[in-house]
Amino acid sequence: MVLEQEIPRFSAWIGPALLSFLLAASLVALFAAAATWLVQAVASGPLEAGDRVYRGVRTALGDFAGIATGRVWALARLAVQESLRRNVLVALAVFAVVILFAGWFLDPANVDPGRLYLGFILGATNLLVCTVTLLLAVFSLPADIKSKAIQTVATKPVRTGEIVLGRIIGFTLVGTGLLLVMGLVGWAFVVRSVSHTHELLKTSVREVLDGDGNPAGFQGRTSAERGHRHFVSLDAAGGGRAETFRGHRHAITARQDGEGLAFEVGPPQGILEARRPLRGRLVFLDRQGKPAEKGISVGAEWTYRQYIEGGTASAAVWTFEGLSERDFSGGLPLEMTIRVFRTYKGTITEGIHGTLQVRNPSTQLRSEAFPIVAREHTIDEFWIPRTMNTVLADGRTQQADLFTDFVSDGRLEIWLQCLEPAQYYGVAQADFYLRAGDGSFAVNYAKSCLGIWFAMLIVISLGVMFSTFLSTPVALVASLAVLLIGQFREFIARLFASQVTGDSTIAPGGGPIESLYRIVTQTSITLELDPTPAVQVMKLTDTVLLAPMRVAAGLFPSLSALGTSDFVASGFDIPGDLLAAHAAETLAFVAAFCIAGALCLRAREVAS
Amino acid sequence: MSSAAPLPVGDVVIEARNLSKVYRDFWGRSKKAALKPLDLEIRRGEIFGLLGPNGSGKTTTLKLLLGLIFPTSGEARVFGHPATDVAKNDRIGYLPEESYLYKFLDAEETLDFYGRLFGIPAEERARRAAALIEMVGLTRDRRRQLREYSKGMTRRIGVAQALINDPELVLLDEPTSGLDPIGTREMKDLIIDLKQRGKTVIMCSHLLADVEDVCDRIAVLHQGELKELGRVEDLLTVTGVTQFRVRGLSSEACEEVRAVLARYGGAEIEVGHPTTTLEDLFLEVVRDTEARPGRRARSPAPSAAPRG
Repeated sequence: MVLEQEIPRFSAWIGPALLSFLLAASLVALFAAAATWLVQAVASGPLEAGDRVYRGVRTALGDFAGIATGRVWALARLAVQESLRRNVLVALAVFAVVILFAGWFLDPANVDPGRLYLGFILGATNLLVCTVTLLLAVFSLPADIKSKAIQTVATKPVRTGEIVLGRIIGFTLVGTGLLLVMGLVGWAFVVRSVSHTHELLKTSVREVLDGDGNPAGFQGRTSAERGHRHFVSLDAAGGGRAETFRGHRHAITARQDGEGLAFEVGPPQGILEARRPLRGRLVFLDRQGKPAEKGISVGAEWTYRQYIEGGTASAAVWTFEGLSERDFSGGLPLEMTIRVFRTYKGTITEGIHGTLQVRNPSTQLRSEAFPIVAREHTIDEFWIPRTMNTVLADGRTQQADLFTDFVSDGRLEIWLQCLEPAQYYGVAQADFYLRAGDGSFAVNYAKSCLGIWFAMLIVISLGVMFSTFLSTPVALVASLAVLLIGQFREFIARLFASQVTGDSTIAPGGGPIESLYRIVTQTSITLELDPTPAVQVMKLTDTVLLAPMRVAAGLFPSLSALGTSDFVASGFDIPGDLLAAHAAETLAFVAAFCIAGALCLRAREVAS
Repeated sequence: MSSAAPLPVGDVVIEARNLSKVYRDFWGRSKKAALKPLDLEIRRGEIFGLLGPNGSGKTTTLKLLLGLIFPTSGEARVFGHPATDVAKNDRIGYLPEESYLYKFLDAEETLDFYGRLFGIPAEERARRAAALIEMVGLTRDRRRQLREYSKGMTRRIGVAQALINDPELVLLDEPTSGLDPIGTREMKDLIIDLKQRGKTVIMCSHLLADVEDVCDRIAVLHQGELKELGRVEDLLTVTGVTQFRVRGLSSEACEEVRAVLARYGGAEIEVGHPTTTLEDLFLEVVRDTEARPGRRARSPAPSAAPRG
């Protein structure tokens, strides 16, 4: 799974995030007040305009203070009744059709069926729930204004904040109901779809003898199901498991029947998981074995993975912290995804050979090198044993204990090197981790649904906000535009960082002026421009242009950034810190949109 | 006329000073002056009528008083609060021109919803809703969605929602619009009943008879401008003409009265039998038919109240 940015601890994230939010909110409020004053000043003069703005702010604050939960709940109930009587439950029928199509057309023999089914179901649920609730949100208030029903409501002691909040809560309740049903149906569908088993016939199993000719166990192959079969290694009693293939394995039990041993293959294990990784910090060593800032670039524009060269001293070194004997008493379960870049074809059916070593970061004591073979597109598992050999200076080997000899203050280094000259290993910090434990898949799935719920909440509040002053079609387009711009939020942030730091690898191609220049002159984005005075001026202009864009980008919600379905589909537990950060971000956007919507509704005439 | 009692000199409930409204287009250009500067005071306990032809500014005035639209100039105050202050709405009931209600709700749900907006406790809400539904004659149809209601039924439930909070001030926009003669009479009776219960009622209508029947004071608007303002009886009194209404006078006596009038220099305008109103005739027929089903209605009693 790609994890481009480290997930910060919530306690460290919330302070700066809150500060940014307050800053952005203050700027927007000031801008809105100034714009209102300007418009009023044209009509009524500056003093009268100032008085109106002051009275407007005072009244708005009073309105917010006077919000009553009873009225909000009444309006929320109304929104629910409206939705139900507008046949919103048709969305469930659409979801049923989607499930049917998924059952027909998704290939259960896929290399990674868990990712395929989970990605599809969570994606479809997200799309359907957000679309339905957005439509509800943008249709409701304009319809009330058109039918003039809003006039009857507005002549009751109802604050505009209550109208907006009531609608947001009402549609959220509707959306939550839809999400619950879709989530449960989707979960059952995924579990049933990936579930399969194999047969292990006695005829496909042969006995294995040890050196003394005694029975040591059995080896064989399962039957082919869903486009794959597993090799099987069993102990002398017939128990064991089918080897991991396509990301899963099966437990095998044996029992005696009248004709000898009969084998029973269990359900798949490892498809629907919630791994809890303990990630380390990655540094690189260059060809000479000296520390380097980065690995080698093999020309890929996406710089997520850096490469180490085979047959040299080049290495990728992860430093893990917080290791304790209590958590890993039996050894370290290491999992890794290593990309391979071949400068020659070699034996394409075989992986590229390399080694792993553990090293004490304080004493520099190294273990012996463990051979590995990197295979593309799979998560390779490697068990670092509790006891291993270490090579002494005189060439002798000596046994050493993982925690006594290699772990120092909870820290441990693991070195990865590629053995084959002119071949490269591609690695990223997040691709290499210790499996600290496993969470419940069902809980993880629920967490992912919570991510969809956050997105839904933002979509609803955005739609309701726009519907307070725009007609339905325009509010719909405006909402979609904001969500679209939000998708570029991270890119704009990276672009700005790239301009400010001068590091073009963060976001190659430069700002708007430089991009235009490159388009006109057909200059590749990977090519550095000569630092002539003209280029310097161009880059400076870009920085000035990008600064407000960077600030404004923070005001647009990014639904993809809130998405956590990739964690579930890739079999990783969704970190609580990430979920808490998403919850806080959602709350901030909902509060901002709610306040903006209430002010916009208050500023308009609900009758004509 | 509802009552010949003198106007109560109570508190001022509504006050408009130099209140005007100009509708503008998207570019801010003046489109229509819906209401020219208006000064108005309405006192507690009055039934006040805003009278005028279509487009005269009646509804605009009402919307300005309710804070549904903002004045171009001037100020309106309701119970001493600015018209845009939500707090005033606690004491107000409003029946819009066409009962703008949620069609997907039934009558009970409608009243429950608006009752909730006033923060009325659940038990009291249910009691008031049942009483109001019975009052407007919708008990049998209380569980039907409003989309299935006729125009008259919609007006009735509209009235019920306007009264759910037992308001001190009731604003009625064309209250008899869409009602049959019985409904119209019931509405007028209701308005008079509200006054007797100490409420202030403001109604706007272009139906002159309705206004004349119930209002204490009226304002006549035309092309957004206030043309007349005063007590109905003062405005309608024709000075210089004296009217006698006598029962059981013979033709000889009539001739004698004429002679006396001529002796005193009175110019005769009209002598004859007064007529009742069509509304009274209709109500009489309906009542008689209901009292004696299956029979043809009797002619109205000679003692039926004459017009005037």
